Amino acid sequence: MSARIRMAKLAPYLFVGPAIAFVLVFLYAPVVFSVGLSLTDWNFISPTMNFVGLENYRRIFADPNFRDAAVNTLLYCVVLIPAQIMVPLALAALILRVRNPFLAGFYKSALFLPTILAYSTAGIAWLWLFDPLNGFFNAALSALGMPTSRWHNDPSLAIWCVTFVTFWKNFGLNMLLLLAALVSIPKSLLEAAAIDNAGPWRRFFTIELPLISPTFFFVAVTTTMNVLDDIVGVIDVLTGGGPYGQSSNILYYMYERGLSFFQFGQASAASVIIIVLVLVVTLAQFRMFEHRVHYES
Amino acid sequence: MAILSVFPLLWIVTTAFTPNDLVLTKAFRLLPESPTFDNFRIAFTRFPVAAWIWNSLVIAGLVTAGKLAIAVPAGFAFAHMRFAGRDTLFWVIVATLTFPTIIGIVPLYVGISMIGWYDTLAGVIVPSIAYIGFYVFFMRQAFRSLPAEMFEAARLDKAGPLKQLLEIAIPNVLPAIASLGVISFLGAWNIYLWSLLVLDSPEKRTLTIGLKSFIVIDDFEPLWGPMMVVGLLSMLPVMLLFLLAQRFVMAAFTGRVGE
Repeated sequence: MSARIRMAKLAPYLFVGPAIAFVLVFLYAPVVFSVGLSLTDWNFISPTMNFVGLENYRRIFADPNFRDAAVNTLLYCVVLIPAQIMVPLALAALILRVRNPFLAGFYKSALFLPTILAYSTAGIAWLWLFDPLNGFFNAALSALGMPTSRWHNDPSLAIWCVTFVTFWKNFGLNMLLLLAALVSIPKSLLEAAAIDNAGPWRRFFTIELPLISPTFFFVAVTTTMNVLDDIVGVIDVLTGGGPYGQSSNILYYMYERGLSFFQFGQASAASVIIIVLVLVVTLAQFRMFEHRVHYES
Repeated sequence: MAILSVFPLLWIVTTAFTPNDLVLTKAFRLLPESPTFDNFRIAFTRFPVAAWIWNSLVIAGLVTAGKLAIAVPAGFAFAHMRFAGRDTLFWVIVATLTFPTIIGIVPLYVGISMIGWYDTLAGVIVPSIAYIGFYVFFMRQAFRSLPAEMFEAARLDKAGPLKQLLEIAIPNVLPAIASLGVISFLGAWNIYLWSLLVLDSPEKRTLTIGLKSFIVIDDFEPLWGPMMVVGLLSMLPVMLLFLLAQRFVMAAFTGRVGE
């Protein structure tokens, strides 16, 4: 009997143990190690590892490539975060108003398809469309008698190509999440509002939007993270951060420092900077949305 | 908008069936002029594409199995068991949702190399299982929808925790588990940056990173046709899976996310 009781006490820990172990070993521990490594000059090949204090941070901040990457990160965020929330919201609201169930299903699937592709698959599709010599876009432009473009090879266009492909590949998830939330709003509420002469716009802003605010909040937080994250894959296949670092971002900078140049100290310092940034942004979002989110029951 | 989102994919399909010499001259046809399977032959003979398909399947399958095996019991414990530190442990797991995926990549890479997992599938699979924040959260929500009385009755019948989980809880949340399985498979099939770092030898690669070797192989013009064949192969399974399971996944999502 007592063995049974002991078992019952232990059981929850056996159930959550593996999950805890995995996140501690593979997610938390690397972050802690990064902080440690960021204070050293280790580069993987050299046998020695010296404590250098904040030298890596000083070097990074002095590195023009890092500054470019930081500015780009800001630019990506300013453009992509609103776009990846507002456009999917509008699309979700539109799909909800499509009466024909077959058409609605088609739109949903078609718009979601890019989301389930690998970065490399998305990458080759666009590399091919953008291809300066034989790509579709330039062929179309010259057929229309317009000047062709170098697209992602053009230093001033590269960042916008990356932005666009990232958007193309990622808006679908938010669309589905927001759509799922909109669908779950009781019809009776909207009908009641219609009887009270509230037009479609008014219904959207006074009823639907407040009622999906928890999902909206969830989407806002995860989108910020995803924008930072997802771009790395797109950059890697489309431009490799180039030309001349014009389309890099800070995560890609870190990735390059670490795994192409094996500057582990500097890469770790970059990752610590990113962690701090992410923490600040997430906390700010919680603060900002906390009291505006409407939870039912 | 719908056309815009599908067009690049159609273009992959078209190019995959267009003979290579035509690819470079006529960029303008949605239906290939003289459709051919040549590109498939070229792709499969010049690159170990069959091995890539197998590796992708193994990785996606094992990552999914691992995630479910870990997240399901944890979600159950967080939903229906009382124990010291429960809320703290829950947040320790869910907080990882805010970690950028590649943030710990340097120490992880060093660690994997030190235990000899560099260039092995295990090196890709095991660390990838750790991204379970969403899965644990989702499973807790699913198990919460089951009434507590269900398990109290089982306890009176002297059913142990494992029996409660396997015989009562899991059969009642199968749709939720299945949709997580689909989501995980889609995600793991597409793992990109991490496998690019860990897998090195050509026959160890997956489809998604095999594609990358097409991009870099020729300094002049890449082999667009065969490249699109591999692209097509990399997207077909996930597209089919998504179209088949769509209803299912949507239903599981509705009303659950953001609660």
